[in-house]
Amino acid sequence: MAHIPDGVLSLPVLLGGGVLAVGGLALALSRLDERDIPKTAILAAVFFVTSLVSVPIGPSSVHLLLSGLIGIVLGLAAIPAIFVGLLLQAVLFGFGGLTALGVDVVDIAFPGTILGLLAAPLLARTSSLAAALLAGAVAAASVVGTAGCVTLALALSSPDYLPSLRLVALTYLPLAAVEAVVTGFVVAYLKQVKPEILAAPSREVLG
Amino acid sequence: MIGAAGSPLRRLFAAALAAGLLVDATGPAAAHRLKLFLATDAGEITGHAFFVGGGRPDGVEFIVADAAGRVVHRGRTDDHGALRWRPEVAADYAVAVDTGDGHRVTATIVADRLAGPAAVAPPTPASDTAPATTSPIDRDALARLVEAHVDAALERRLRPLMEAYDQAESRLRFNDVMGGIGMIVGLAGAAAWAASRRRGREDGRGGTS
Repeated sequence: MAHIPDGVLSLPVLLGGGVLAVGGLALALSRLDERDIPKTAILAAVFFVTSLVSVPIGPSSVHLLLSGLIGIVLGLAAIPAIFVGLLLQAVLFGFGGLTALGVDVVDIAFPGTILGLLAAPLLARTSSLAAALLAGAVAAASVVGTAGCVTLALALSSPDYLPSLRLVALTYLPLAAVEAVVTGFVVAYLKQVKPEILAAPSREVLG
Repeated sequence: MIGAAGSPLRRLFAAALAAGLLVDATGPAAAHRLKLFLATDAGEITGHAFFVGGGRPDGVEFIVADAAGRVVHRGRTDDHGALRWRPEVAADYAVAVDTGDGHRVTATIVADRLAGPAAVAPPTPASDTAPATTSPIDRDALARLVEAHVDAALERRLRPLMEAYDQAESRLRFNDVMGGIGMIVGLAGAAAWAASRRRGREDGRGGTS
């Protein structure tokens, strides 16, 4: 799913993904507040480790992405965090091809980042229950966004690779549900013990 | 931060390289997420696809193509992700498994591993020719027969070993995971160092643009 191997996508899709990813990275790095560096690194490590654990579902296999949570906590800095995690997974384990890295970054990081940035002002204001529900919705929508991006990248490359909707729904919907629950609990917990994490300085840039 | 995203030219080069490796299919470009184990069994191509970290794709399509890239067979994996197909002629074949959601893997099997038993006559002459009075023709037949049986026995004996090797190769190693985390810590350190240098130069509170 989200880690697309080498040789599957067509060159225009790879280039397009690469350009978008480099643009996103450049924007995020230029806006990265140095006080956010440790937090970004920790979430990059969390992403790197979490998405190594795959669970077989039906004919395929999925793993947590946590892109919604990372987008909520990091805002734009989610893009470099996920980029580093994906790069290391590709280099160390061959998960996803290096040529498809740009597309993978767009697929995984962009939906979570955009939704996280949009939800952030609301999250900072609401009660922890409402924040948990909203964060869950962001996480689920991020997974659906990732599924959409992957499907689009594959479909644009070759009609042969057009994933069957049944299969995508079968694998991504349970993942979206699990991500929603995990992210909801994490955000509710953060809201109680460390609410300032949900009001990070890097997030004001798009405000 | 890291120039891995690369220039279009480098990307093009990398894509061409990846495509080249994929044709070869035993190279490191073969996806590790979904892997394909292939073996031969008396002239049949057998094997199974599996996901790194567990699970086998069942009921997904596998496509066999010949050396020229023509599709010669399409089939589906069984409940255990296993596939089996008997080619009419022993030749080089590339087997691709596509789960239909972006997981795709290709592996090749060479003609040499498929030839042998298929070319051999029924094994009845073996018992008749026990004394040393065999004619040259019989000796040839015997040699082929022995070779075929040795091939089959080796294939049978080596198969668990090759499967175990494939599994071991695709295992996630704790050292690699810790190495990755160490790399992230190092990157954060480098970024913090760069930020502190910049702050030192500006002699004020940091932050860009």
